[in-house]
Amino acid sequence: MLRFDHLCKSYRTGPTEVHALRGVSGSIPAGASVALCGPSGSGKTTLLNICGLLDPSYTGELYLNDRKVPTDARARTRMRRDRIGFIFQCYNLIPVMTAFENVEYPLLMLGLSKAERYKRVAEMIDGVGLAKHACLRPDQLSGGQQQRVAIARALVKQPKLVIADEPTANLDTATAHQVIDLMRDLGREVGSTFLIATHDPRMTGRCDRVCTLHDGLLAEDQDALENESTVCGPKEAVCAG
Amino acid sequence: MRWLIFACLNVIRNRRRSLLTVMIAAIAMAAILVGSGFALFTYHSLAQKAARDDGNLIITNPHFFVKIAEHPLQYGLDHFDGLRSKLLQDNDVRAVLPRIHFSGLVSNGDKTSTFIGLGVEPDEFRVKGPFLDLLAGKVLNGKQGKDGLPEVVMAKGLARSMNVKPGDGITLLSTTTDGALNAIDFVVRGVYSTGVPALDNRQLYVNLDTAQSLLATKKISTLSVYLFDIGKTAEKLTRYQKLLPRLLVTPWWKHAFYYHSVRSLYNRIFGLLGIILVLLVFFSISNTMSMTVTERTREIGTMSAMGASRSEIIRNFVFESAFIGGVGSILGALIAALMNWGLLQLDFQMPPPPGSSQSYPLLIEFSVPLAVAVGLTLTLVCILAALNAAHRGCRMSVTDALSHV
Repeated sequence: MLRFDHLCKSYRTGPTEVHALRGVSGSIPAGASVALCGPSGSGKTTLLNICGLLDPSYTGELYLNDRKVPTDARARTRMRRDRIGFIFQCYNLIPVMTAFENVEYPLLMLGLSKAERYKRVAEMIDGVGLAKHACLRPDQLSGGQQQRVAIARALVKQPKLVIADEPTANLDTATAHQVIDLMRDLGREVGSTFLIATHDPRMTGRCDRVCTLHDGLLAEDQDALENESTVCGPKEAVCAG
Repeated sequence: MRWLIFACLNVIRNRRRSLLTVMIAAIAMAAILVGSGFALFTYHSLAQKAARDDGNLIITNPHFFVKIAEHPLQYGLDHFDGLRSKLLQDNDVRAVLPRIHFSGLVSNGDKTSTFIGLGVEPDEFRVKGPFLDLLAGKVLNGKQGKDGLPEVVMAKGLARSMNVKPGDGITLLSTTTDGALNAIDFVVRGVYSTGVPALDNRQLYVNLDTAQSLLATKKISTLSVYLFDIGKTAEKLTRYQKLLPRLLVTPWWKHAFYYHSVRSLYNRIFGLLGIILVLLVFFSISNTMSMTVTERTREIGTMSAMGASRSEIIRNFVFESAFIGGVGSILGALIAALMNWGLLQLDFQMPPPPGSSQSYPLLIEFSVPLAVAVGLTLTLVCILAALNAAHRGCRMSVTDALSHV
């Protein structure tokens, strides 16, 4: 589903050149959930940004559904709109929109009919257990409720890939468990592939596979639930740079 | 509609800043409308005055305004009664007034001075309304005065110079159309002020037939056509030019030099003022939108991440800015309308303009088409400011926008 070969990314902070990724390779099959772990600065978010087509400035190859990701900005935007959902640590809901409208927003961009949009949004809002809160704005919802809206927003367009950056970092344990279960259950229903950057052991325990990044390299690749197919790529793959 | 509602909600998010920006747009709109309303009122007043002074259309001999006459009324109109009757058949014509322009010497027996005279029919004072500020006595009524003498109405400067008041006698001396000198004794019937010091020192009115007697002619200088509606002047001009091919038909604006000077001056003054105010709104909205875009950088990043195109994101800010501009324009128009009403109630007088001794009421004309045009311009300026700010905001990469604090 998602394959990346020798991904390298570096940037400058003043006179220093920082190598955020130094040749990371791997593949994730469709429907899998992979947790990316590692200390701060290890390259988790950089890898997420590249895989989510948010960052076009990298070297290496990236394939989504066996097709090389385009370099053209418009094509990448279209691809994000059609195939990728995002869940952010701070939820990033649009403040002036209600929960319902926030979930509806990706479908508006897809140009679906009103009836189709309302059907899907109602199902998804119901699925995350917020049917009674659909008309509330983000500032009227708790953190957990906001993250559930964010999950609904990410999954409502039935994306092939969901990118989640520390989705439980701002939540208490009970809420984090709910959110994790929700992501897993709804993800299975929709058939999406999850790539999740997290420090949270509650999260990694529920993912199919856990990959650990260290200094821009893939340091460890564990099958979290069972020893099935290789999810992440070879640990030793290192970019020449 | 949905995006407009979101735009309104976004505007309300930062109430104080939005209110300040709306007020700046409203004050600019009101200032432009009040300034241009004052200019419009002045233009219309001067146009009405010019048309009232000489008529909407002036019919003359073709050489009257061009050639220098060797003797009085050389290029005058003869046998005008038939033409006058013909013109009066037109339902749009209110009056047709003959006039004689002449000059000569005026004497009280002790002192002599020059004058500029107008021979008019008594209807002149009825048709033109209170165009003279009568200081003493009465206006001409076409009848003889005491002792069967003809009557004269004199401007205040000339009357003071001759040391006369209503009831006093005076002699006018002028050149006849044959080139001879002729003098007639008059009785002063009234003293007036035109409001223009230069005219007040020289001008006088006599009855048309008396002027003809003084000049020993049956001719007149001009025939002034007064219409019910000044707006029909151009239409009637075309018609009369076809109807009277051997005569010259001149519209009021051809000789309204003061009107054109004031219009030209005011257009420059208020035009510049308008440009400054529009720039003020542009920079103010630019500042507001820049702050808004900066504050909502993460939101822009989120929308971009979800696949919103740059134009879709910019559209949201444009709607917000247009909303601010629209509300500001409506509010500004209301303020201008309120000021218009207030000035009508207060009867505030402006000091006399240069070359005049009469003050005039400060009024503004509220023009709906102008308000719409200015409102649309301000809204467009707001949109341009938003485009500028939003475009800069959207140039940031998605990852930078998402990590923006």
